[in-house]
Amino acid sequence: MRADSGLRLENHLRPPRALPPVPSAIQDDTPLSHPKKKKPRTKTTLGSASLEGFVQTATRRPSEGSEPPNKEPVEHPEAPVQRRQKKTKLPLELETAFTQKTSSPSVLRNENGIDVEPAEEPVIQKPRRKTKKTQLAELQYANELGVEDEDIITDEQSNPEQQSVFTVPTGVSQPVGKVFVEKSRRFHATDRAELIKTTENIDVSMDMTPSWTTRDVALSVHRAFRMVGLFSHGFLAGCAVWNIVVIYVLAGDQLSNLSNLLQQYKTLAYPFQSLLYLLLALSTISAFDRIDFAKTSVAIRNFLALDPTALASFLYFTALILSLSQQMTSDRIHLYTPSSVNGSLWAAGIEEQVLQPWIVVNLVVALLVGLSWLFLSYRPDMDLSEELMFSSDVEEYPDKDKGIKASS
Amino acid sequence: MLQTSNYSLVLSLQFLLLSYDLFVNSFSELLRMAPVIQLVLFIIQDIAVLFNIIIIFLMFFNTFVFQAGLVNVLFRKFKGTIILTATYFALSISLHVWVMNLRWKDSNRFVWTDGLQTLFVFQRLAAVLYYYLYKRTAVRLGDPRFYQDSLWLRKEFMQVRR
Repeated sequence: MRADSGLRLENHLRPPRALPPVPSAIQDDTPLSHPKKKKPRTKTTLGSASLEGFVQTATRRPSEGSEPPNKEPVEHPEAPVQRRQKKTKLPLELETAFTQKTSSPSVLRNENGIDVEPAEEPVIQKPRRKTKKTQLAELQYANELGVEDEDIITDEQSNPEQQSVFTVPTGVSQPVGKVFVEKSRRFHATDRAELIKTTENIDVSMDMTPSWTTRDVALSVHRAFRMVGLFSHGFLAGCAVWNIVVIYVLAGDQLSNLSNLLQQYKTLAYPFQSLLYLLLALSTISAFDRIDFAKTSVAIRNFLALDPTALASFLYFTALILSLSQQMTSDRIHLYTPSSVNGSLWAAGIEEQVLQPWIVVNLVVALLVGLSWLFLSYRPDMDLSEELMFSSDVEEYPDKDKGIKASS
Repeated sequence: MLQTSNYSLVLSLQFLLLSYDLFVNSFSELLRMAPVIQLVLFIIQDIAVLFNIIIIFLMFFNTFVFQAGLVNVLFRKFKGTIILTATYFALSISLHVWVMNLRWKDSNRFVWTDGLQTLFVFQRLAAVLYYYLYKRTAVRLGDPRFYQDSLWLRKEFMQVRR
């Protein structure tokens, strides 16, 4: 990987080439990846007769400008060995339908960073190129395809001045107007511009991935939950107010019509109780998040300082306890049958006795929830958890540890 | 080092289990047409809590802090979560057993007593604290600092040795 990044740097520094084809432009940012479906290839117009000659020229070419200078001494002694290997390898090359393609040196050099023995690469790499369809090759083509139009020629051309020491044996190749993409074991001519479009997208997404760390995932989840909390604060306040209004309307003046309330409200009581718990739980968690409740010392200090957010979380928690304590009464309302019916839970005359505290508690819950919502909306951006948990400085830690010690 | 994709997967699994837990806690009382429904919901809920406990411990084991042998540091940091999760698990199981025992014959019976109501309140309150602390711990374990050597860790190590 280190060698790879070195290469990349090198590529950026390099001045633009005057002469077309070759590999050097190709290698930049090509993450190693898994095999892909298609692998585009170009056929060169070279005859086999000239193969011997261009192997040598091309092998020297890549190291000319794009190879890190410190690598050269290492590669240099191995050059004759490589050349010899290449020569023995040639018959195999000739058997294949497609011979040298423009991107081949870049493949080798990209993998140079990883492969330990560069001298053996030609032997290993060539068969692999034929059999494996890698995304790597595809990405290289995204860059490869971006050659200048005037570069595209059909004539054979070799550059004797491009002499170099690094010897990766390849053929001389030229970009042609069409790109041959392998689809279902056949090569189809495809337009270059089209292929560039599809491959560039992949390139972008591959570049994005390394910058997305676990911390970012955690942070985005945290922020997503804060949005959920923000929604539930408002929704809960609205629901609670609506609930208490409905109760008072159904109960009539001075709670004179309680049996009507029971009959109308009995289908609503339990679902509302459930919804209330759900929303209260979400809101409480969200409010705790905002004051970073787990750091008790900080939370208590904020509470004593009458910080609105700390007050809101306290009010939510109180509302939660009060609401939960009415579970029994809610179930009783849910199972309401008139006192005349056999086995009724509601004996004549106990309605007011049971319902009075229930209504009061509901009223208090609505008030607490509404107040909390107001308090939170006073400082909607406050989020101590995010500040304390995701601060990246190491210097933060002493403070954090103090807080933990104080809490324990 | 923790992989981003792995962490995302684990985090979403944890949140899925937490959401299921919250859903059952909220709406199990409504879903009592037959006692079997509640029984199945409760069993899955308890298994979900158990799974969450296992997952969070696996995440602990995966940290550099743990592998460096500073179990104590990790425990001190996440003591609240560990204790509360265990408490919630115990409370849940006892409430579920109690409620199912009372409702098994007739799921629409009025079963509430003061004791059951008290247990119910404590279980539901513990649930909220469990969600909060568990969520916080899961999110905090995404911090790369837990997975690499750092100055902070060395300080901790010195403190432990002292």
